[in-house]
Amino acid sequence: MMHLHIENLVPVPLKPNLQTRNSDIWLQDVEFTSGHFIKIKAPSGSGKTTFIHLLYHLRNDYEGSIYWNNQEQKQYHAAQLAILRQQNISIIFQDLRLFQNITARENIELKRVMQQPYYPSSVIDDMAEQLGIAKILNQRTGICSYGEQQRIAIIRALMQPFNWLLMDEPFSHLDHDNTAKATALIAEECNKRKAGFILTDLDEDTHFTYHQTLQL
Amino acid sequence: MKEWNNILKQIITTASGRLRLLLAIIGLSAALLLILSAVQLQANYNDLLHSKSNQDSVANFLVVNKQLTNANYGNTTLSNTAIEDLKKQPFVDAVGILTPSRFKASIQSYSSQFPFYTDISFESVPAAFIDVDSTQWHWAPGEDIIPMIAPNLFLDFYNFQFSLSQNLPQLTQEIVKMIVFKVNIQTPAGMVSLKGKVVGFSDRITSLLIPESFMQWANTQYATDNTLQPSRVVIRTKDPGNPALVQYLKAHQLTTDADKTRFSKYRQIVNMVVRISWITGTILLLFALLIFSLFIQLTIASCKDEIQLLIILGAAPKQLQQFLMQRFFPPNIFIITAAVLIVGILQYALAAWLEQQYMFVSHIISVYTLGTALLFSGILWAVNFFTIQYYIQKENN
Repeated sequence: MMHLHIENLVPVPLKPNLQTRNSDIWLQDVEFTSGHFIKIKAPSGSGKTTFIHLLYHLRNDYEGSIYWNNQEQKQYHAAQLAILRQQNISIIFQDLRLFQNITARENIELKRVMQQPYYPSSVIDDMAEQLGIAKILNQRTGICSYGEQQRIAIIRALMQPFNWLLMDEPFSHLDHDNTAKATALIAEECNKRKAGFILTDLDEDTHFTYHQTLQL
Repeated sequence: MKEWNNILKQIITTASGRLRLLLAIIGLSAALLLILSAVQLQANYNDLLHSKSNQDSVANFLVVNKQLTNANYGNTTLSNTAIEDLKKQPFVDAVGILTPSRFKASIQSYSSQFPFYTDISFESVPAAFIDVDSTQWHWAPGEDIIPMIAPNLFLDFYNFQFSLSQNLPQLTQEIVKMIVFKVNIQTPAGMVSLKGKVVGFSDRITSLLIPESFMQWANTQYATDNTLQPSRVVIRTKDPGNPALVQYLKAHQLTTDADKTRFSKYRQIVNMVVRISWITGTILLLFALLIFSLFIQLTIASCKDEIQLLIILGAAPKQLQQFLMQRFFPPNIFIITAAVLIVGILQYALAAWLEQQYMFVSHIISVYTLGTALLFSGILWAVNFFTIQYYIQKENN
């Protein structure tokens, strides 16, 4: 169980724009229920990526508060933040953030062994098989297609223990078929951990059975 | 842990250049080699100066007196303060007072075949300053033979100049020791005759020596002058070539056998050269440390993005620090070990070569060199640790 609660949150650079908009998130008091699948629908420029980055504490330029387990995020110091990212929060970035010079398998393995491994390494092969990237696992990541890289990033995020999975347009480069495989895997992994997720995307979708859909 | 390190190694190595690491290692090796050599050379230098096998026993005793000038003419005695001050100097191990005889004396031979007569004066010195080991070197009132120690110089002078000009036979040390001389002392009450015998020859003090006990007795009995202050002292020193000693003597207008102290000038030059090698070594080392810390800094900077991403993905600062220390510190240990080994081999070769020149230094490297190597292991560890810590913290913010 990992409580997530935001209070009057607004990123400082976007504040003038966001003050005049109706949003379920910005400048609101929101409690995210543990284990829920939450979709955040966000048109371009509404601060979708900014929101994910704020929750993951990649930036500090915000007003209001973000509470993880009732502790204001700004109070986490570097070592605590590392534990949070190793044990409680996993992420799929929109820009993927993979190491280009190492293989796909090494990118995934990195997240598996960063903490006490949650899965044995054979699970990497199982998941890669499921998402159709088993053949490229030993290829250098830099030469994989963006769609393949997106699936590498998804598997990487699922290698660790977590209570919340943050996803920023995670299927943008996947076709319908591959998206379905990926969503099935993600849902299965979240359920296994009794974890929730926050997924941001531009449009409505039916990838998952969402508990809650919010407008950014 | 092993898998984690392997992946990190892949990420960091591909980002940072191997060539740069190699260059930093070469720079540091050269500097360490120089500084360790400088320490070892200093140790060898001290060895050469102070070790027993390299010392000359004659050179350790110096007879010191005031320089006779027009200003101190007739007043060349050394005051108690001056003697005490001399004793206090770090380069002086002991000071012995040379007591001159204060009565007129002459010696002559009893034998008519070897007619010999000369006016003479004596000096005495504490037994610790005498280099003649003789059982006969003692005198007590009532004993009729006075033992004497003659300078080798006197015998040489006699054998190679005087005897030839006077048509007298040459004498060996053994023969001289067998001769009993007549020692005449002039007293207010008339001439007193005693017997004297040379019991040994010395190179240390160039005057005719008699036991202190006799000197005291005779001076009390026959002295014509009541001056008690000595004019000459003999000092024992570990190092007659010590520039500080020469400087002290000069500053106090004292003089000694210049032949024994002439090395002080060369010593000053060698000291200066060694000091310069220290300074160069230290400067080089500082540069080497700078190079290495810059190398770490550059490596971290060149894989800054990778480190940032690792932190974003959840790598703890400690995990990264540990990994980077494991990566950067072992080459340092390798460099230090290699430098110590090289200096060790050079030292062995140097010692063997010097031995052929009759100079003796240790075949193994000095503890100071090893100590310096250990010290630099510590310094390098600290430089590595703090540079890494600083940059990881910087990337974290």
